[in-house]
Amino acid sequence: MFISYKFLLIMRGIWFVSQVALFGLIVNNMVKAAAEAVDINYFNYYVAGVTIITLYSTAMFIGYDIFEEAEHGVFEYLLTLPVSRRELVLGRSIGGGLRSFIYVGPLLVIVLLILGVSNPLYLLVALASMFLFAFGVSGMSITLAVAMKSGDKYDILIGVLDALIVRLSTTMYPTVYMQRAMPAYAAVAEFNPLTYAADLFRWGTGVEGALQFSPLVGVLGLFIFFFAFTFVGVVFYERRLEGGNWQ
Amino acid sequence: MKAILHVIEYDFRNFFRYRWFVIGLIAMNLADLFISAVVFTQMTSIANFNYFRFFAPGLAVVGLFASAFMIGREINMEVRREIHHYMLSLPMTRTELAIGRVLAGGLRGMLYMTPLLITNFIVLRFPTLPQLLLILLTLLLLAIGISGVSISIAVSTTSFEKFVTARGVVYYLLFFCSSVFYPLSVIQVLATKGLGPLVTFAQVNPLTNGSDLIRSFLLDSPDYVFSPLMLLNVAVFSGIFALLATFAYAKILQRH
Repeated sequence: MFISYKFLLIMRGIWFVSQVALFGLIVNNMVKAAAEAVDINYFNYYVAGVTIITLYSTAMFIGYDIFEEAEHGVFEYLLTLPVSRRELVLGRSIGGGLRSFIYVGPLLVIVLLILGVSNPLYLLVALASMFLFAFGVSGMSITLAVAMKSGDKYDILIGVLDALIVRLSTTMYPTVYMQRAMPAYAAVAEFNPLTYAADLFRWGTGVEGALQFSPLVGVLGLFIFFFAFTFVGVVFYERRLEGGNWQ
Repeated sequence: MKAILHVIEYDFRNFFRYRWFVIGLIAMNLADLFISAVVFTQMTSIANFNYFRFFAPGLAVVGLFASAFMIGREINMEVRREIHHYMLSLPMTRTELAIGRVLAGGLRGMLYMTPLLITNFIVLRFPTLPQLLLILLTLLLLAIGISGVSISIAVSTTSFEKFVTARGVVYYLLFFCSSVFYPLSVIQVLATKGLGPLVTFAQVNPLTNGSDLIRSFLLDSPDYVFSPLMLLNVAVFSGIFALLATFAYAKILQRH
């Protein structure tokens, strides 16, 4: 089903390339002094952040599938399958996360070629955290999709959420500058799963020598995010499946 | 003329049907200004550059582009659902219909962009009346040109996915190779990476000229000085794409 979004995937690919090759390069030139002041290479910092943004946005696609299925009557077919409701929902959530990883895979290889790997063990921890992150985002997408009756409203909510969750994270800029700009932004970013995923990925590739938080805290934060949304998503989705509530 | 006004009215009614979409779009634009731009301001302040003030005029152009482009999404949907047969049956000429659609797209862009422009006036400064008129004229021409680009793509693509992909390519090329997000002087770095043609493209890009024209009136900076060539650049872009869209809409719909 994911492959049927080929044009959207192509567009995401173009977005990624232009973010890295144009925006990343140019902004790197603009904020070079500020990045050097906190001992980072902004281009590398940004490339790692864009990877997490791409992972986040592709994992969110699963919500659109749910609306599409409701619209085309595929729900009825899914309910006739010889699997329990719980298995069905868990499978959707994990499948949503996994397919986003498959999509990001080739981009990830390019990014690793650009950034390099300083410690393979750190990288493995970072990749495992990114898996948790992708499953969690997929669960969040399912939760939001089943909580809404209209595909249009879901689309708008995702857009607004995307604008806030990405900008209030360290995917694009370091915490220290968020703190200086507005302490409230930095405070929100501290609890943002995108911050954990992006910072762990940078730590795993050696872009950031030291993390603002312990890697254990980051992994734990992503695990809580994954667990909370997968669990809530399962409960919501199960309830909606019963009695034709999706119609 | 009356027929064109009817078409514009029809498109404005459609625009207000998407009010939640528009509210979402405004929220995204404001998040760009009050979160990203504020943080980048801190990052560029070392070089004595106020990014927030720089980006605010660019944001008006971002909003104008997004809303003026929406007309293409609707026209593409009409073509796919064959609503264009109804449109073609209306008692007006094909040219009147096409001109109405192009103008409506541009005017809707202006309507959406107004709160963003007012935000600019509040956070930067209020322009004089002649400056305001020049800004509005430039933005209207830009909006009509963008609406033209959008309609040309909409009638030339057979599926929504292809339209969305083409929109993405146009969007990224026009925005990332312009002075909407960063000054032209910073874009020069691309020339050192073997991407010289992109620098030239950024210089002639109508989005660069549109946003720099607003900056020339709202930022008291010697880096941005108004030149009639800016207006001419936007007018040429607008003229070419408005004509192309009118021709493509009238001809291609007939063929469908």
